[in-house]
Amino acid sequence: MIKEYIKIAIKSLRRRPVRSWLTMIGVVIGIFLIISLLSLSGGVKTAIMQQLRMMGKDLIMIMPGELTDIVTTFIGGLELTDDDIEAIKKAKGVDVVVPMTYKGEAMRHKGEKKTVLLCGVPIEDGLDILRTDMGLELKEGRWPIPGKREIFAGYLVPEDIFPGMKVGAEVTVRGKQFKIVGVLKSIGNKSDDSQVYVDLDIFREITGERTGAKMAIAKAKPDYLVEEVVENIKENLEETRKRRKGEDLPSYTVLSSDKITGIVGSIMNLMQIAIFGFASIAVVVGGIGIMNTMYTSVHERIREIGIMKAVGAKSKTIVLIFLIESGFFGLVGGIGGIVLGLGLAKIVEIYCQTQHLFLLKASITPQLILFGLAFSFIIGCLSGFFPAKKASKLKPVDALRYE
Amino acid sequence: MPKQPLIKLKDAWKIYQLGEVELAVLRGISLEIAPGGFVTIMGPSGSGKSTLLNIIGCLDIPTKGKVFLNGKDISELSQDELAEIRGQKIGFVFQQFNLLPNLNSLENVMLPMVFQGRPENERREKAKALLTILDLEKRISHRPAELSGGEQQRIAIARAMSNDPEIILADEPTGNLDSATGKMIMEILIDLHKKEKKTIVVVTHDPYIANYSKEIINLKDGQIIADHKRAGKVLWKK
Repeated sequence: MIKEYIKIAIKSLRRRPVRSWLTMIGVVIGIFLIISLLSLSGGVKTAIMQQLRMMGKDLIMIMPGELTDIVTTFIGGLELTDDDIEAIKKAKGVDVVVPMTYKGEAMRHKGEKKTVLLCGVPIEDGLDILRTDMGLELKEGRWPIPGKREIFAGYLVPEDIFPGMKVGAEVTVRGKQFKIVGVLKSIGNKSDDSQVYVDLDIFREITGERTGAKMAIAKAKPDYLVEEVVENIKENLEETRKRRKGEDLPSYTVLSSDKITGIVGSIMNLMQIAIFGFASIAVVVGGIGIMNTMYTSVHERIREIGIMKAVGAKSKTIVLIFLIESGFFGLVGGIGGIVLGLGLAKIVEIYCQTQHLFLLKASITPQLILFGLAFSFIIGCLSGFFPAKKASKLKPVDALRYE
Repeated sequence: MPKQPLIKLKDAWKIYQLGEVELAVLRGISLEIAPGGFVTIMGPSGSGKSTLLNIIGCLDIPTKGKVFLNGKDISELSQDELAEIRGQKIGFVFQQFNLLPNLNSLENVMLPMVFQGRPENERREKAKALLTILDLEKRISHRPAELSGGEQQRIAIARAMSNDPEIILADEPTGNLDSATGKMIMEILIDLHKKEKKTIVVVTHDPYIANYSKEIINLKDGQIIADHKRAGKVLWKK
């Protein structure tokens, strides 16, 4: 019988095509927002988590300042002092410490001058960690020799910043000549792929920043628990800090790579929940549109409802017919929203990949599609529930008399 | 031994509450309609004819008093129980035809069978047969708006017949039709009475049908002023 009720419902929708379409567009917009944003944010999450997972499990990041104040740390120019780095080195269980620092510098190549982010890393001690634990790989060329004025560049440097730049090219930074010896494979996001790397000693020599570092990466010894080493580093840093009392020193953030992955993961989850929350509002507004249309429809069809009841339709039949109508609004609106949403997600994905902005792959899963369909259908049915109840409660005598 | 009445009303009242005022539309109606009867309800407008027909047709229940259908008290049934009885035992023909505008003729005739859960092919065959009998086989896929009043009323009759009801109730079935078409509709109803042995109750002003009918109930101010079955002639005149 449900087939007949669907027929009856669809026939009445087709009698009011403009209103039906407008009602559905309300749902389309909501579901479009949910699906496109969820699939894109899902993609961003996967990409970031993948990059984080490339990091070795036994790595520990040490940054000055509180984690909650990460922006202040980066903008405010807080630094780890040489004392701090010594303290980290001495912490129990620390194998190697790689201080890292960076600065925007003008770079000249064949008469062109561009600003690049110059990273100082200790090649002698740190190259192993960069390669095995941070996932840096050479696309061409070789790694620089410690102490020499040699540079290796991110993937996008010869692609985007100095198009046509080759391995072996000469560049000038602060009046000093450097040689490009290697180009990295893509890491997956535009800012990392646009950096150039130089030995820390050389970095200090040319920038004049002779001490300290913006951050440091420590590697735990294999037979130590990473979280234990994190605690040791924290303790040592606290002690150095106490020795220099009188100064208003900032605290430190010491995180294992697992912790970072966890923190970033939960931030991404929160972001997705927030996105879902906001986009849901749009769907609910669409649902209110359905409810409005359904109330109007019930009102217009009071007489028809009376006729159906007179020829034997029970209340639940009337409820069912109206729920099918509103569910149909939801479902068709949902399908439209899913198609448009996935379409937008794909377009953004293709744009990001061709522009090397971010290694983004829109996450289009059957679960997401099913969720979109179910959500829109349920919203449709819920919105139709009260109008349908109202219709079913009409007494046939009154309904038939209604003009 | 007299047959058990198909429909029996015992002191049935219908009272509407209009704000502070009570309006008694039916005042203590008692009547019996035997199976296979042909009953005409007559009376001036406002006399309660339609209200009486609605109660006989289980569209409404009396405020006071009892209604029996085949000996079963239906005056306390729920809306859904009444709907079930209407679907199975009663066919309605209205002055306004009351076809669903979105559905074509065939679908309109099939509708009561849909609500009774009858299978699709059975519904289709029955509806086609009824439309053919009523000379409407060429109008099967037309919608009500594309049909004349007479055609619409014949479709309504086919719809009323679709579940093989025991009773057909017609509320001014010729009221919106010209006299020739009205006569044709009345002949169909009379035919149903004669050939199909249906019990028929008609609210009408039509003297043609009143002449045919052996039982005439005259209503005035919600009360029966004459029941022709006993009086032997039409007592109420305008």
